[in-house]
Amino acid sequence: MAINEKKLEELLNQYPTKVKRNRKKHLIIKDSSLAHQEIEANTRTIPGIITNRGCAFAGCKGVVLGPLKDMVHIVHGPIGCAYYTWGTRRNKAKSDDPTKNFINYCVSSDMQESDIVFGGEKKLARLIDEVMDIFQPNAITISATCPVGLIGDDLQAVAKAAQEKHGVEIMAFNCEGYKGVSQSAGHHIANNILMERVIGQGDWEEAPGKYPINILGEYNIGGDSWEVERILEEIGYTVVSVMTGDGSYEELKNAHVAELNLVQCHRSINYIAEMLETKYGTPWLKVNFIGVQSTIETLRNMALYFNDPALTQKTEEVIAKELARTEPIIEQYKKICEGKTAFCFVGGSRGHHYQGLFAELGIETVLAGYEFAHRDDYEGRDIIPEIKLDADTKNIPEIHVSPDERRFRLKLSPERLAEMKKKIPLSNYQGMNIEMKDGTIIVDDLNHFETEEFIKLLQPDIFSSGIKDKYVVQKMGIPSKQLHSYDYSGPYAGFNGAVKFAEDIAMSFATPTWNFITPPWKNKPLLEGTIVEGGCSVC
Amino acid sequence: MSRKATNFRDVNENPCNMCMPMGGILALKGLENSMVILHGSQGCATYMRRHIAEHFNEPIDVASSSLNEKGTVYGGEKNLKQGLDNMIKAYRPGVIGILTTCLADTIGEDIDRISQDYLVERGYTDLPVVTVNSPGYGGTHAEGYWLTLRRIVEKLARKTEPHTGINIFVPNISPADIREIKRWLELMQVSYTLLPDFSDTLDRPYQRPYRKMPEGGTPLADIAAMGGAAATLQLGVTLEDSMSPGRFLETEFGVPLYNLPLPMGVTNTDLFFNQLTEITGKKLPAELQQERGRLLDCMIDSHKYNGAGRSVIFGEPENIYAVTRTCLENGIYPVVIATGSKNPQLVTLLEDLLTHSPVRCTVLTEADFATIRVLSRGKANLAIGSSDGRYLSEREDIPLVRYGFPIHDRTGGQRLLSVGYRGTTYFLDQLTNTLLENKHKHYRKSIYQAFYLGINKTLDSAESGGEQHVL
Repeated sequence: MAINEKKLEELLNQYPTKVKRNRKKHLIIKDSSLAHQEIEANTRTIPGIITNRGCAFAGCKGVVLGPLKDMVHIVHGPIGCAYYTWGTRRNKAKSDDPTKNFINYCVSSDMQESDIVFGGEKKLARLIDEVMDIFQPNAITISATCPVGLIGDDLQAVAKAAQEKHGVEIMAFNCEGYKGVSQSAGHHIANNILMERVIGQGDWEEAPGKYPINILGEYNIGGDSWEVERILEEIGYTVVSVMTGDGSYEELKNAHVAELNLVQCHRSINYIAEMLETKYGTPWLKVNFIGVQSTIETLRNMALYFNDPALTQKTEEVIAKELARTEPIIEQYKKICEGKTAFCFVGGSRGHHYQGLFAELGIETVLAGYEFAHRDDYEGRDIIPEIKLDADTKNIPEIHVSPDERRFRLKLSPERLAEMKKKIPLSNYQGMNIEMKDGTIIVDDLNHFETEEFIKLLQPDIFSSGIKDKYVVQKMGIPSKQLHSYDYSGPYAGFNGAVKFAEDIAMSFATPTWNFITPPWKNKPLLEGTIVEGGCSVC
Repeated sequence: MSRKATNFRDVNENPCNMCMPMGGILALKGLENSMVILHGSQGCATYMRRHIAEHFNEPIDVASSSLNEKGTVYGGEKNLKQGLDNMIKAYRPGVIGILTTCLADTIGEDIDRISQDYLVERGYTDLPVVTVNSPGYGGTHAEGYWLTLRRIVEKLARKTEPHTGINIFVPNISPADIREIKRWLELMQVSYTLLPDFSDTLDRPYQRPYRKMPEGGTPLADIAAMGGAAATLQLGVTLEDSMSPGRFLETEFGVPLYNLPLPMGVTNTDLFFNQLTEITGKKLPAELQQERGRLLDCMIDSHKYNGAGRSVIFGEPENIYAVTRTCLENGIYPVVIATGSKNPQLVTLLEDLLTHSPVRCTVLTEADFATIRVLSRGKANLAIGSSDGRYLSEREDIPLVRYGFPIHDRTGGQRLLSVGYRGTTYFLDQLTNTLLENKHKHYRKSIYQAFYLGINKTLDSAESGGEQHVL
């Protein structure tokens, strides 16, 4: 069912005038006949609107730092923030050295009222000593929560002193929750410090194998990264590091030796991708390992980049083998899913990535959007120069890197780079909007009110988002798929992931559970009677 | 019993508690037609909604004033008022709870003043607003829960004509538990006001069409009448007066307060019904007497298995006190009892309770799981508490019976029934069956070790445990 401007206007008219004016700019009905459709994104959340967005701390500690397994991630602040980021994202990690995998630990300074009054620096310093003693990690991160910045604890100074004392890298992140407008600010803060303090600190000058790559913006939710690595390694790539799913400090240190950086989640990691290009001359490729076709396209783009007939041949062999194995299974599930519609509202990249996978199952995405993306994630990177920097963005420090004197090396000649850029998304991202069909809805920072209204208008068959709206949607009798943490399932990336996803989605539709919603007595008329010829016998 | 009232380390490794506003939200969700707004960064609301939703499998709508850097400098008044505007427009709540977070309290936001101004400015003369200062560093979610209940009563209870109804304040128990307590009161035809009643709001039946505001919750008019009640039964023996809603009703309106433990186990449930019959003059219905008989029958049937149980119990003070008593009644002697709260009252109460336990037990307040784990190692064969105790099973091979909040790795936390004679029976069966399953899982290995290798490995129990452990 299509939705027109009038319907959209009616929906927005339910808002107070000021809110309506604001929200209108975050909503688009896709129309390719227009030269360009602008969407507002990465601006302040309207208070009281029941957003799905989180905070800078969530983006920094929760998303980017959390998955790094050989580091201990200290949360400096009262207990809540540490507790709420304890294992909730389902970013999996395994380690050859079981004494160097701290992924299941939650470490906090648990600040009390007296720490707020007198400052928490001394407690933090003692805590770092204890952490070194208990865990002997390869490195430590310290993430700040709201009160830390307000009371003026100097995290950087504490970290510096501790680093001198213990001789391991100890990094402080000033990612207080009130910074920026969403998780996005925290991604940026984390990217900056990882680039400054970790990446390139290793002593490798050469990669340990052929076709060395880094996978950026892959967080190994439900084992996604493991499936992607399986495919890449079978083709013959050397995965130097993953940022940051199942990643480690030790791997990240040597990430500079890669010949190509793959960017899965553009939003959370594009800063590092860009800086790697400036500093080491390594271009990045926008990839998408969600969906069979996207995975194949990505693999072919990578082969084009490396331009080696043996690699291209192996790529095609693996694609053919995987297709032969997975296609017939997906085909079966497709029969159940065909013709259905979906909403796809997730974080900062999956709102886009999952549309292809849905399409492969015959499911059309009628509404999509991101929680915390910027305009370039919708409209493509070409509009970056047009984006006005507001105060919230300016408060997040920008770092500037310059070419590394020793290690900078152009991986492709300028001519070949220019040629490649025409063929594959090299150091470029076209955004989500371009791939959406006319008449579909694109919405930034969808809230609970709009969720309900759009469901009433468009009646999707499945709603994919996170746990906060999952139960609203299920109470409306519509299956939901958590695309943040996959409802305890996964992986959904690569070939095996596509099969798993198809199975899960088909199960959502085919489960007998939905058959019982209407009780039998609701199907029967309330009064029973027969019509007797010749009228009423009583009167 | 040996006490460990404080954690000697600065690091909190794997926390055993959440923060204050978390408990505040739960309490406010038990009010009819209520909405909650957190004054602070939006991440707080997002995180807590996420965690509550995962436990109850229910929509959890909590607004945020979404303060940002500007707000931290110039104050968050504008954001809070705007947040209230938008929330009221979308939800039309009958009562609003405003909870502060670390951010709002650290910059010293006066939510009382702001909310009063707001109501006057907008002309909402009839809209009750409950404000609670609940910074994350002010206490755990357990304290947030009780303090919010006290603030609700302070704000909404009135001096009214005396009536025969009784007030009941319950700790953070499951919706199924609340429904059970209501069943008894209805069976006994006692008129009551139970706060907070999230038995429907956090465990809604599937119904069409979907309503943004769930039905149920304690009616505001009933809370207003609490001041005239015949008595208050407060299931909160571990409470400080400053957080006790019952104490407030007593000092303010002269409603007699009876502080009782959560009715889990025979003794606690007997205490509850004894008090109730004494106050109301009504008799214990035959149906409940039957249930008591069945619980005793269950206890006798299972005692030979339970006798091998050594438990580690963790969670909120009120709940663990009741669980401890239940364990003691059945010979599942505790070796570690732990809470994330600071609660000297609890330690004193447990000291009394544990006097006659043949097994030495360590009581930890302000505990973390790292400490609990070390102290339980080789001493316990049964863990009872929230799903965060799963590491005790995974790493120490101590099976976990999930009880309390939150339960994130299993479904049905909202349906766990553990109060009263009937609830205790269910709960006890779970404990016993977990012990049996564990025994069955290991018996080949233990027999092999005992008879072929000559290693007689039993739990260290009476003779050791509880001494000062090096962490």
